[in-house]
Amino acid sequence: MNVAWALLWKDLATEWRSRDRIVAMTVFSFLIIVVFQFAWPNMEPEQIAQLAPGILWVTYVFAAVIGLGRTFSTELENDAMTALALAPGNRGWIFLGKATATWVLITAVQAMAGLVFALFFRVDLTIGLSGTATIVALANVAICSVGTLLSAMSVRSRFREVLLPVLLIPTLIPVLAAAVTGTTATVAGEALALTTLQPLIVIGGIYFILCFLLFDFVLDE
Amino acid sequence: MGPVRLRGTSIEKRYGRVAALRGIDFEIAPGEAVALLGANGAGKSSLLKILAGLSKPSHGQFGAFVDGGTPPLDRSSLRAAVGYVGHATLLYGELSARENLDFAARLYGQRANQERIDQVLEDFALANVADRRADTFSRGMAQRLAIARAVIHRPGLLLLDEPFTGLDELSAERLSEQLGRLRSEERDAEANGGTPSLVVVTHDPRRATELADRAILLHHGIIRATPSKQHAEEFTADALRSMLGEFAREASHAA
Repeated sequence: MNVAWALLWKDLATEWRSRDRIVAMTVFSFLIIVVFQFAWPNMEPEQIAQLAPGILWVTYVFAAVIGLGRTFSTELENDAMTALALAPGNRGWIFLGKATATWVLITAVQAMAGLVFALFFRVDLTIGLSGTATIVALANVAICSVGTLLSAMSVRSRFREVLLPVLLIPTLIPVLAAAVTGTTATVAGEALALTTLQPLIVIGGIYFILCFLLFDFVLDE
Repeated sequence: MGPVRLRGTSIEKRYGRVAALRGIDFEIAPGEAVALLGANGAGKSSLLKILAGLSKPSHGQFGAFVDGGTPPLDRSSLRAAVGYVGHATLLYGELSARENLDFAARLYGQRANQERIDQVLEDFALANVADRRADTFSRGMAQRLAIARAVIHRPGLLLLDEPFTGLDELSAERLSEQLGRLRSEERDAEANGGTPSLVVVTHDPRRATELADRAILLHHGIIRATPSKQHAEEFTADALRSMLGEFAREASHAA
């Protein structure tokens, strides 16, 4: 567990100093929102309410792909990936530290992107805010679990920029379907139902456990 | 952890159709210092990765043992016993020297021990730049920090892959002295239960004779000679250079 804390601290400290990932993700998500605003400049509030969950999740997923693609970029610089591979004990803790740091960064960017979305589209996101936040937090567990594993697998590949989204997005389809359905309900002011959260909890849990166990093999030769 | 004994029998390593190691046998005693010498592509780095537990042999038996124990260490315990410096420094440029050492200690499951970190920084003449970011270091300073990082958890086996590459003569001399001192320090030997075993990959026969008790000369994945200090006339920089030159000439004739 100490190893997970050490990696969480290291990733957040290096990100605070370089701001590589957070700036890239934030700028990218703002640009997506601006493009959608240009595409539909004069929408009625009812139309916005219908489209909001889709626009939000397109923004969130593409921003996450940008961030996940750079999860191991600091390890590439001086081959620090070898240092991680040399760490004794269960390498699942390395996965946990990296995935948690990515979860923190992606969630922070999503919060900012949500705010910008609300301003641009004049949507009151305070309606059902806690429900939407719960859905985002749970969906991010699955996104960061699979994303961290796939990022570690693809980081030494020549085609890593292509490989990660091509493998990640199909894996996340059940999570995204549940997240968009849930967000549609919460943005419309409906109460958050347990049936909405169940698939996110189950799929997120399965992905997390699988990735924790499989990470040992990813760091091997 | 105490010094590690290493034993390999019929070790082969293949990358697809290419054989990097072709059935080599070796034994490295606890506390022994061995230099791996050979031309590019001789199989030195492949062997070092097997010794570190970073790579598995394609064929053959490899075991690492501590305290005269018979069951070999499992891969996790072997990694815990190893201090490794590869071609790259394995450092994080955005972290300071002190933070890099702190992080490395935590990766090995040790709580941050400022006294130990200060001691290692002092040993490698980095105390005055302890709070400077590693990406501002010169090549020589970064290499010293890389070795400091490798010894922070008091390994029983120190593996160095061409530690003098890219260093000017003065920095290489200084590093060689620091490595020699590191192995002779009674303080670490006491804490460790003995002097750590050392395997150093180098192209430089002079450095090999300075640091090691014995050399393993690899050529095309085969051990061709194992000169040692016991036969002083074979274990000089000139003798090693001459042997390596002879292997290269044989290879060019065969081709």
